[in-house]
Amino acid sequence: MLIVANTTDDEGNPLIDADGKRIDEWSECLTLIAQKQDRAAFTRLFRHFAPLMKAFALSGSTLSANHADELVQEVMLKVWQKAAGFDAEKAAASTWIYTIARNCRTDLYRRLQKFDTPLSAEDVSDSQESDEAFVVLHQKRSRDRIRGLIKELPNDQAQILVKVYMEGKTHSEVSGELDLPLGTVKSRVRLALQKLQIQLER
Amino acid sequence: MTNFHPDLELLTEYSAGSLPLAQAACVSIHVNQCQRCQRTAGQLCDLGASLFEALEPVAVGDDQLNAVLAKLDDEKPLEYANPGSTSKTPALLQRLMRGDFSDLTWSNIGSALRISYLKTGDPQHEFALYHIRAGGRIPQHTHRGTEMTLILEGGFSDANGSYHKGDFLVRRPGDVHAPTALQSEDCICLAVLDAPLKFTDWKFRWMNPFLKLRTA
Repeated sequence: MLIVANTTDDEGNPLIDADGKRIDEWSECLTLIAQKQDRAAFTRLFRHFAPLMKAFALSGSTLSANHADELVQEVMLKVWQKAAGFDAEKAAASTWIYTIARNCRTDLYRRLQKFDTPLSAEDVSDSQESDEAFVVLHQKRSRDRIRGLIKELPNDQAQILVKVYMEGKTHSEVSGELDLPLGTVKSRVRLALQKLQIQLER
Repeated sequence: MTNFHPDLELLTEYSAGSLPLAQAACVSIHVNQCQRCQRTAGQLCDLGASLFEALEPVAVGDDQLNAVLAKLDDEKPLEYANPGSTSKTPALLQRLMRGDFSDLTWSNIGSALRISYLKTGDPQHEFALYHIRAGGRIPQHTHRGTEMTLILEGGFSDANGSYHKGDFLVRRPGDVHAPTALQSEDCICLAVLDAPLKFTDWKFRWMNPFLKLRTA
C-alpha cells in the first residue's frame, strides 16, 4: 500500500507562513540551506530523506549496502550544493530531491558498469521550469492530484509503477520479471496514468 | 510548428530514467524544446517523487549523517546563473561536439546525404547527425531495429507525411521509407539506431553487408 508523506509539523498542524500560505517543511529547509547554509535544516532534511534514498538505492537493484550508503552521501551533498537552484515557487522539494537521487543512481550504475560517457544523467534530464504563472499553478494542481489519486490505484497497477520508477526497469524487464505479456505491462501503465490523469496534451 | 512528439510510454521510461543513454539524450533534446512534452514530463516526474516518498524507509545511521556533515565545509554551495546560451545548437549536442556542425567529420553517402557519428558512450546505440541536402533524397531503406529521429534544422517528407524542425519520430522494425529533404533548405536531423539500416533501393543494396552500428 502506498503511503504518501504529509506536509505537517510534528504536532500534525499544517505549516503556515506569515501570509497564511501553507508551505512545506522541506521547501523551507532547502531555502534555509541556500540562504544561510543552515546545518540544522540540512539535518532535518537528511533524517527524512536519507532513509528514502537508501530504500531507493536498494530497490530492485544489485547495489551493495556500501554503494547504497555512498549514493545517499553523494545525493545529500548535491542537495547541499545545489539548494540555491531550488525555487519553491516553481517546484516541489520532494520532486527536486527525487530527481537528484534518480540522476545520481543512474550515474552510479553507469560508473559501476565502466560506462565511458561524456554525459551525466543530469545532462539528459529535463531541467527547465516554466516561468509562466498559469503553468506553475497548473503543475502544482496536478502534483496534488497525483499524490491524492496514487493511493487509489489498484495494486497490480501500483506494483508496476513501482518497478518502473523505483527499480528503474524497462517495460520489457518488468514483463520478464513478473512473467506477464509485454502488452499487459504496457496497458497497466497506461491505465494507471489515465487514472492519475497524466496525458499528452493535444 | 512541432507536430510529432514522443508517446506517453517513451516519456514514462524517460522520466523514470530507464531509457538507454543515447535514446534518453534524443528525447531530452526534444523535451527541452517542447513545452507540451515538458509539462507531461514534469507530471511524470512528480509521479516518481510520489512513489519515492511512499517507499518503506531504510534506517540510515548517525555515523552517515556525521560523515556528510563533516564534508559540507568542503562543498561550496553552487550559485546558479541562468545558462542563457545564445547558440542555436542544443546544449547537450554541444557537449558531444567540438565547435559547430561544420567542424564535424562527415562521411558522404551518395551526393545528397552525409553522416557524422557522435560518441555518447552508449554501447548499444548509434547516435548520428544526418545532413540531407535541400531536395535531396535518402535511398529507400527499411529498419532492422528502432530508429528515433529528431529534426534539428529544416525538414523532410516521406510517403507518410512531412516533418519539420522539432518533430520527433520513431520508426519500428520493418518500416520502409525514402525521406526527401524539403526543397527550401538543408535538413539536419539526429538519428538514434539500435540496429543498422537496410537499403531496399537496388542501387544501394550492395552497401547492406557493410552497414554496421557505429556506437563509437
